[in-house]
Amino acid sequence: MDTSERYNYYDILEINCHCPQHEVTTAYERSKLTYSGENPAIYTMFNESEARELLKMVEEAYSVLGNKTLRALYDEKIGQKRPIADLSFESLQTESKTVFSTLPKKPSNDRAQFVADKAIEDEFSATTHWDGTMLKKAREYRKLSHDALSNITKISVYYVKALEECDPKNLPAAVYVRGYVSQVAKVLALDEKKVCDSYMKIFKSNLEKK
Amino acid sequence: MSAKIFAVGAGKGGVGKTFISSSLAITLAKLHHSVLLVDFDLAGANVHTNLGMEPQKTSIQSFLNGEADLVNLSQPTSIPKLSMIQGVWQEWEQTPCRRGQGLQLVQEIRKLPFDFVVIDLGPGATATNLEIFSSADEKILVTNAEPTSVEKSYRFFEAWILKQVSENTTPDAYEKIKKAVQEFRAQKQQGLFSFRKYLNSTANVSFDHFDQMLSHPIRLVVNSCRSHQDQDLGYSVKSVCSKYFDLGIDYSGCVDYDNAVWHSIRNKEPFLIAKPFTKLSGQFLALAKHLSPSENHVIGIKAVI
Repeated sequence: MDTSERYNYYDILEINCHCPQHEVTTAYERSKLTYSGENPAIYTMFNESEARELLKMVEEAYSVLGNKTLRALYDEKIGQKRPIADLSFESLQTESKTVFSTLPKKPSNDRAQFVADKAIEDEFSATTHWDGTMLKKAREYRKLSHDALSNITKISVYYVKALEECDPKNLPAAVYVRGYVSQVAKVLALDEKKVCDSYMKIFKSNLEKK
Repeated sequence: MSAKIFAVGAGKGGVGKTFISSSLAITLAKLHHSVLLVDFDLAGANVHTNLGMEPQKTSIQSFLNGEADLVNLSQPTSIPKLSMIQGVWQEWEQTPCRRGQGLQLVQEIRKLPFDFVVIDLGPGATATNLEIFSSADEKILVTNAEPTSVEKSYRFFEAWILKQVSENTTPDAYEKIKKAVQEFRAQKQQGLFSFRKYLNSTANVSFDHFDQMLSHPIRLVVNSCRSHQDQDLGYSVKSVCSKYFDLGIDYSGCVDYDNAVWHSIRNKEPFLIAKPFTKLSGQFLALAKHLSPSENHVIGIKAVI
């Protein structure tokens, strides 16, 4: 018979083409055990080089059938009665890439709409008095909504709003507030230390007023 | 309904044919089936020892000589619902088995009023063994995990295939096939190849009975497994058979190695009776159910009305 003929990968692993994925793996492990090393089962039937040849085929079959995407593609091609000779791991892999090349693009970032303004940035760096209103101004300059900021910093929208009010009634203990402010400052590309120190001074005075 | 016949063979002696067949028979008897155990080991009959019985005067030899009926030869054992026919004990009296006698034996057995008949064959693929093997309902091939017995099992498969082929062709064609098989063996093989296709292209014979063989596959049992690797050997042999011969076989199960087995044989007590709650008895139960899935097995005590 023609030894160059290629075989169906399912025949090589001796499995049914409808079998679940875990059976493919079991079949592969068993075949690998059979044709590698000194398994008594191949004694007097296959010599070393034949066993190696078979092992190579088993590995090739599993490289396709062991991968869910490639297996699905392989099944499809077999179903279309494509000659088996065209189907190899390489050809299927290239094909799998072309099929999925038109993935939808990721939604664009919110911060892309931000327009730099030298004057405002200079004002920010000059300011030493950082209260809620200034934070709000910086946020609006960065074109971030409450939600977007909350999304990035993982601070709840409720607290983000309360921070801008500088309202101790709606905010947790000072140590948490400092953490929040420092995170917000980082996202808004402000001087973290300066903003924190200034904000906390105002926050504490508000706290005493109460 | 006629009896279901299990033939237990092996490529080589000493792999545990007699242990497997007697334990299988006991398991089936425990499941409330009437069972006959026939010792057809013409070279070394020892089923009676496995069952802890003294040898009797009557043996299967009388049947082969045409002196007695199988019904008269069968004798009860200490196990309820299990009977046995003793193998040739006085070996000096033995006459060689003629062609066709195996077939005759199976035909006679079918007439007997049993649910199951387990035939313990002698080692090797002798003509008579193969005759019984091919006419049995279930063909059980026992091997253990050693390379020697695995090799002999493959020789048994070869003999089995050639026997099947010879039955379906003229003597001329058979000679041609035999030559093709020898060439096939000598040839350097590359990659995956098919015995069936090779025979088809070289000897110009098409093999529909390969498919027939698939519907009644040989049942492989791996005896005295000492490790997981030994248990997986059955799958390996199955794979090699389908790759080399294009012959599908069924891996029916494995039986673990247990030191208590030789101990119980020394005590002349059947293992499954002496040690009924071991892993081995579970494995035999699984084996019995695998071999006769449609039967109505009753586990435990059956109420007599």
